[in-house]
Amino acid sequence: MAAQNNNMEFIIMIITAVILLIPLGYGVVSLASSNDTQPFIEKPDEKYDKCVRDTEYMRLNHMDLLKEIRDDAMRRGKRGEITLNDCRKCHTSRERFCDKCHNVVNAQLDCYGCHYFPK
Amino acid sequence: MERREFLKKSGVLLAGTACACALPLLPAAAKSINVDSENTAGKKWGMVIDLNKCAKDCNACLDACRKENNVAMHGDKRWDIHLIRKVTLKRKHPAESPEISVPLLCNHCERPPCAQACPVKATYKREDGIVIVDHHRCIGCRYCMISCPYNARFFNYRENHEWPNKDNTRSSHGVPESCNFCAHRLDKGKKPACVEACEEINAKALIFGDLNDPGSDVSKVIAGNHVRGIREDFGTKPKVLYIGL
Ligand code: SF4
Ligand code: SF4
Repeated sequence: MAAQNNNMEFIIMIITAVILLIPLGYGVVSLASSNDTQPFIEKPDEKYDKCVRDTEYMRLNHMDLLKEIRDDAMRRGKRGEITLNDCRKCHTSRERFCDKCHNVVNAQLDCYGCHYFPK
Repeated sequence: MERREFLKKSGVLLAGTACACALPLLPAAAKSINVDSENTAGKKWGMVIDLNKCAKDCNACLDACRKENNVAMHGDKRWDIHLIRKVTLKRKHPAESPEISVPLLCNHCERPPCAQACPVKATYKREDGIVIVDHHRCIGCRYCMISCPYNARFFNYRENHEWPNKDNTRSSHGVPESCNFCAHRLDKGKKPACVEACEEINAKALIFGDLNDPGSDVSKVIAGNHVRGIREDFGTKPKVLYIGL
């Protein structure tokens, strides 16, 4: 009797472990089999080779730069060196550029209620 | 200390503390904000509207403003926004006068009540005299609309779907709007869109320029004519002045 009980327990343990590992296995297999080599965000048009700041700075601090130029324009009347209108010349789509990361981290943008940026 | 004396002294103390605490609540005069743009630094923008030259059926300035600033027109007067609008006036007393057509816009008051009322300093006066609302900071409380004695502010109750000038912003719903003398154009050295439109049709009823400079067009017109602001008795010191009002 006792031996049979032990067997049952062992089988239940295995089944549970398999069920728990299914999602992980699915992830590993799908990751390995995907051949998605597209970059996460769209590269800008090739004829523009330089951004207003280097990539590393923009990746981490673009919001500070945007706030700075906003305050310059609104509060100090200094317009024109860097503008949001200029950003859209290279980054031609907000769905393929801004929204990509912002959707993932659920940081919602309300710039485009008032500022024009192509979809 | 007697009971009576104690009460007296504590009363005085209480009143003094109350006064000291209330001091910061005294209405502070709205401070102007520095501007750095070389096209506007040291200037004081103002406008003179010559009503003798403004034709009653002409809407050139209104159309130019709508196109430049993406002003919403919903076709319902409850929601429509007007940065500049025209009204027809007729004096009945003491004698009947002929009708005049008057363009109305934000007067860019030298002492703007809207800027003093704004609880978050979203509305402010720039050093060059332009009264402007920063939509990034505005919380949509509409205090400025109530405090403006000229009804110059309009609220975006609805989302605006017109966007003719993609290089300029349009207003999303939830913020008030008023004329800002096309600050974005002035900062780049251009004239406001309405003034340009009025010059284009050769009416030249809107004269715009620097009030600080005695040689500017607008200063010469003020010197040579009898000009009045609307309801100057309010003490708001409007910088939009009228000839023939
Ligand atoms: S006219 Fe009204 S909105 Fe314009 S500055 Fe004066 S109080 Fe403010
Ligand atoms: S509606 Fe906006 S601009 Fe007007 S008083 Fe309120 S916060 Fe200031």
